[in-house]
Amino acid sequence: MTIVDRPLPDRLQYKPEKIELDESVKKAKAALLNDIKRSVYIYRCDLGGCNGCEIEIFATITPVFDAERFGIKNTPSPRHADILVYTGAVTRPMRVPALRAYHGAPDPKLVISYGACGCTGGIFHDNYCVWGGTDRILPVDVYIPGCPPTPAQTIYGFAMALGLLGQKLHHKDIVEDGSVKAQLRFADVPYKVRTTLEREARLYSGYRIGQDLSDEFMEALERDGSVFANINDLIAAQSDSRKAEVFRKLRGDLEDMVVTPEQQEAQLKKGLERVVPHGDQPDATTQAILRGAGVQ
Amino acid sequence: MFKPIKEMMRVGNATTKYPFAPLERPEGARGKPEHDSANCIACAACAVACPPNAIQMVVDPKGGTIMWFINYGRCIFCGRCEEVCPTKCIKLSREFELAVMDKNDLEETCTYPLQKCSQCGKYFASAKEVAYAGDILEQQAENDEEAKRARELLSVCPTCKQKADAYRAKRRVDTVGDPTPDPTPEQMDEARKQADKNKAERRKEARF
Repeated sequence: MTIVDRPLPDRLQYKPEKIELDESVKKAKAALLNDIKRSVYIYRCDLGGCNGCEIEIFATITPVFDAERFGIKNTPSPRHADILVYTGAVTRPMRVPALRAYHGAPDPKLVISYGACGCTGGIFHDNYCVWGGTDRILPVDVYIPGCPPTPAQTIYGFAMALGLLGQKLHHKDIVEDGSVKAQLRFADVPYKVRTTLEREARLYSGYRIGQDLSDEFMEALERDGSVFANINDLIAAQSDSRKAEVFRKLRGDLEDMVVTPEQQEAQLKKGLERVVPHGDQPDATTQAILRGAGVQ
Repeated sequence: MFKPIKEMMRVGNATTKYPFAPLERPEGARGKPEHDSANCIACAACAVACPPNAIQMVVDPKGGTIMWFINYGRCIFCGRCEEVCPTKCIKLSREFELAVMDKNDLEETCTYPLQKCSQCGKYFASAKEVAYAGDILEQQAENDEEAKRARELLSVCPTCKQKADAYRAKRRVDTVGDPTPDPTPEQMDEARKQADKNKAERRKEARF
């Protein structure tokens, strides 16, 4: 599926030529992918990346993740390489080194697209000088997404290439008929209270954490029993003083929003005073409203 | 000679057991964005927020469907989609084993129906989004009548609403008269004079 491609006129788009493999090479490669019974040397090729991927590759060969226990070894020359790891979004000037490294490595060789940029072009996919992914010019065997992929993700990708682990992610097409309704979050909390609390919590402690805190706060609101007692319990149960502080502020915001019957009456009186100035006799309709509100 | 061996025993093995044993990732580690298709209302907030356009929406106005599409190969795991989702149906999980052999496996789609306008019969928004907005309006409504009216108006497309407003305004002009009539030539002259005067005064102020 190519819905990500913008329909530009053909003459404006450069179409890179992709390298096609011989039948014999394909066969040898398939055998290699199933089980490599020796240690593999990898050659790393940066095609215009931000170097985040390189740092993570370096982290992968440190003692904590130790890729060398699988026999994976970094080599400085493509002539010794079994696996070529391409990082970066493939910029126009870097296509030549990419092809030189590819042709320099002996057949059969595996190609790994590393990082979001290597897989699809990543965040640079619509840049004018970027070809968007290693597979535009080279036959890729394993895609390792991530920005950058963590050492664990890298090891998983290599383990897949070496036939140690299987693939987990699969293409999914779901069709919803619209019969299942989306659940309203915290349906018992009034809409304005919910949005105000969410906004304030995000102002206090950031967009992501603020959301979590306001969710926790509203769960306490929805619990059975007295609202303010529940909130006080929640605040008392917090071991993190920062969290307790945010909850205390949210409680203050909630207290501001609560209107007591006395306040309501005072507001009504104030509004009526504006409608009927002092000393004037109110008309029949206003008198009816006043009587309804219990104001003489 | 035993000193280094002793030291080794003390420090122990620092290397993780992964991939031979599952890896424990810490709380808040950013992994694959999990999409809960049942709770999604196809509002496209995530598609707007997504910096690398890993999430996109594809509308088919003839077939009456809207498709949510994600490419995990383009995702940068920033979590913006999670932040903006009104129903919290998209969450970054701790799942990190995303490598694939076939690029097609990185893609996921979810198709939802569109809502038809009750007046003109054209598709105008995701049906689930309209239903969700209805739920919120119902929650806010003061009585049943108001809620019912809000529900009825929801299935009318913006174009039809604009048309209805225009017709109403025209009817008012025809029956009551124009609330904002065009100025007469005398009024225009007066306004022009006033503007010139203001301009001259401003110039005077600027000079001193």
